[in-house]
Amino acid sequence: MSRKKELLSRVGLRLDGRRADELRRIRCKLGVFTQPDGSAYIEQGLTKVLAAVYGPHQVRSKQKAQHDTCIINTQFSMAVFSTNERKKRPRGDRKSTELSMHLQQALLAVIKTELYPWSQIDVYVEVLHGDGGIYPACVNAATLAIIDAGIPIKEYVCACTASLGNNDIPMLDVSHQEEVIGGPTLTVAALPMSGKIVLMEMSQRFHLDHLPKVLDKALEGCKDIKAILDEAVKNHVREMGSSTGWANTTS
Amino acid sequence: MSLCDAEKTFILHGVAENFRSDGRDREGYRPIEIETDIVQHAFGSARLRLANTDILVAVKIEVDTPLPERPFEGKIEFFVDCSANATPDFEGRGGETLAIELSNILASAYKSPKTFNLKKLCILKGKKCWKLYVDILILECGGNLFDAVSLAVKAALFNTKVPLIKSVNIDGDNVELDVSDNVFDCERLDVTNAPVMVTVCKIGDNCVVDPNLAEEQCSVGSIVVAISQEYFSTVTSIGIGSLHAQTLCSSLELGQKVGIRLNEALMDTLSHITSDQDFGFLK
Amino acid sequence: MPVDHKRINGPEESVPYELFARLSGLTSEKAFEQLYKAGKRSDGREFEEHRKIFLKNGAVSQAKGSAYIEMGQTKVIVSVFDPREIPNRSDYSLKGELYCEFKFAPFSCAKRRLHQQDNEEKQYSCIMKKALESAVCLHELPNFQVDIYALVMHNDGSALSAAITAAGVALVEAGVPMYDIITSVTVGIQQGVKLVDPDSLEEQMCQVQFLSEKYQDNNHGLLIISKLHTQEQLCQFYQNGYVSLEVLKSGLEVLSKTCEVIVPLVQKCLIKHITNGIKS
Repeated sequence: MSRKKELLSRVGLRLDGRRADELRRIRCKLGVFTQPDGSAYIEQGLTKVLAAVYGPHQVRSKQKAQHDTCIINTQFSMAVFSTNERKKRPRGDRKSTELSMHLQQALLAVIKTELYPWSQIDVYVEVLHGDGGIYPACVNAATLAIIDAGIPIKEYVCACTASLGNNDIPMLDVSHQEEVIGGPTLTVAALPMSGKIVLMEMSQRFHLDHLPKVLDKALEGCKDIKAILDEAVKNHVREMGSSTGWANTTS
Repeated sequence: MSLCDAEKTFILHGVAENFRSDGRDREGYRPIEIETDIVQHAFGSARLRLANTDILVAVKIEVDTPLPERPFEGKIEFFVDCSANATPDFEGRGGETLAIELSNILASAYKSPKTFNLKKLCILKGKKCWKLYVDILILECGGNLFDAVSLAVKAALFNTKVPLIKSVNIDGDNVELDVSDNVFDCERLDVTNAPVMVTVCKIGDNCVVDPNLAEEQCSVGSIVVAISQEYFSTVTSIGIGSLHAQTLCSSLELGQKVGIRLNEALMDTLSHITSDQDFGFLK
Repeated sequence: MPVDHKRINGPEESVPYELFARLSGLTSEKAFEQLYKAGKRSDGREFEEHRKIFLKNGAVSQAKGSAYIEMGQTKVIVSVFDPREIPNRSDYSLKGELYCEFKFAPFSCAKRRLHQQDNEEKQYSCIMKKALESAVCLHELPNFQVDIYALVMHNDGSALSAAITAAGVALVEAGVPMYDIITSVTVGIQQGVKLVDPDSLEEQMCQVQFLSEKYQDNNHGLLIISKLHTQEQLCQFYQNGYVSLEVLKSGLEVLSKTCEVIVPLVQKCLIKHITNGIKS
């Protein structure tokens, strides 16, 4: 079975008509809810994620409190109708626990935790529609929600997936369809401005020689995403501030 | 949310004057927004915002075997998930009690054949039937969950398209279903009698509908009524507090009156929704 | 549903053999017709007559308070345990809490029940908790939780009402401060006929809508109330089915009246408990 061929057509187009280095359409919005301190919604292609941030607030279980940093509590959950096959439970399975932990790691890298001793920040992400690249969408949504909550961060943390098509062409932002057909998937969460990598995960295999170029591609993707998120944040702030009139004076 | 006595008195007086803290009268609802068809994977879906209560409902359909004691009927199952996005209290298993309460009331309200006819969902007697999974996701809660959930469920069921079965082949014990290839070939569910729930909340000496979070705090007892046409399909008391029989009767009357009106408004709105009004969360 | 590995599980799905035997052959509709013609119920009761009740406290020696109730074939045992600190709670709560667990024994119904609580049982636990919460002086038990377990040993209708009434007695025996005596009654409605304290066949009869032409009345359903009798307060109310406002109101009256009938019984049981206590 020549399944590798199917990922990229002869003219270099992918199954959904994208080019190899093209991201899916990203649409996002900050401040979708009023009750949480920060919230965001992101759509990457068909993958849709909601994120909400509560805090910083007092630590709920006193034993966990730390005198020099704040603890970051994350919960990943997936709506039961988010996948083609109905899920039995929205959370609590091994995969969602793992994703919660990975999300926590990514956020710990950017949040200035030392500013909030004895406190806690809750980050909840809810996947409404899963279509490949769930983890990256969650990280991006969480970043936006944290910015919306006004929690100081060192820089954006963005995540992106990359794959290898036709055995040598790196491809960006893998969709569910491409995941199923079976290309290797490299997930990278990075700080795009300083170029640091927070988390890297790989499924399936390719030759080590390919790793640098696939990784480069993923990092490039992170940078692109960062630009999009940055634009959204600026728009949001401009909109929020326009009622006071100050946005007009700066631009 | 906890209120001090002064705040409670303020709300109490407002209700007594028939002028509540947000300007409504006792029978008034807060603004409601409904969108349908916003989950692509599902057979029917709706999102409802009642002030800042936010509910997302999706209906999935699977083929199942009917219960042996009810061979002519399909199945319907309600599953409520309280997302931690709504409040940190729902984290982990924190929302489970509320979720069970909600799904039980829904199941009880949809149980009577007069409210929702499960016989339409039977494909082949005793062998095959459709099972509707109604999955409710609570994204934000700003009071009055029961009403919001029931309205959203009704809207989602209204929006649901059941695939059309062209033929059924029986080969011994094997049953093969031939589902129509055309995606647009589908049946709608009949939801005209589907119940609408109204929470009637007693504050001071009066009853109000659609309490917000602050008003829920001041209540001395509340009941949820599920109204299907002018009949009651489920009534249950919620929260701590007891009522006098007289009060119960008057709140039942109020619930019925408001429920009928609410149902009319909902059906009217649903019939006006066209498929191109899709905004989702980006609005 | 997760499977309990600690015990030997019966088959997950089973079908009562009566379904295939067609021995009874009595559909709900026919049964109702018989009942309607006779003007009396199968056990000789009037429509609005409660079954005989046997109520006894102190059935479980390990529990702080307990009660055993029999209503016809329905047999329920309720036990109440010592107040204890609310588990898994970090903040101090000024009010006490109740924990209710309502369970049908595996052998109690026509269909075998599993050991774990199913949705119906969870709903009943919820209703029971609601009823008892308004009867117990929760402010006198700050930061404490009282555990109440109801086990139905034989379900022949109105099991929830029986459990709530018995729980009231058990709570008194456990010495939990209460506002009032709590009683609970179920009524089934079909075609305008109100069947007080229905047995399981009548309960089934009230859950369906009759198809034949001669039954034009759509009303059918179950009503359960719990009442605190001195204050005439309804501390819990639950209805399902399809019932109009007028029928609901008249049903409410019937229920209130029947609750009053039970009260002396409960009082008698409690007095007996006290006099026995003094004697010994």
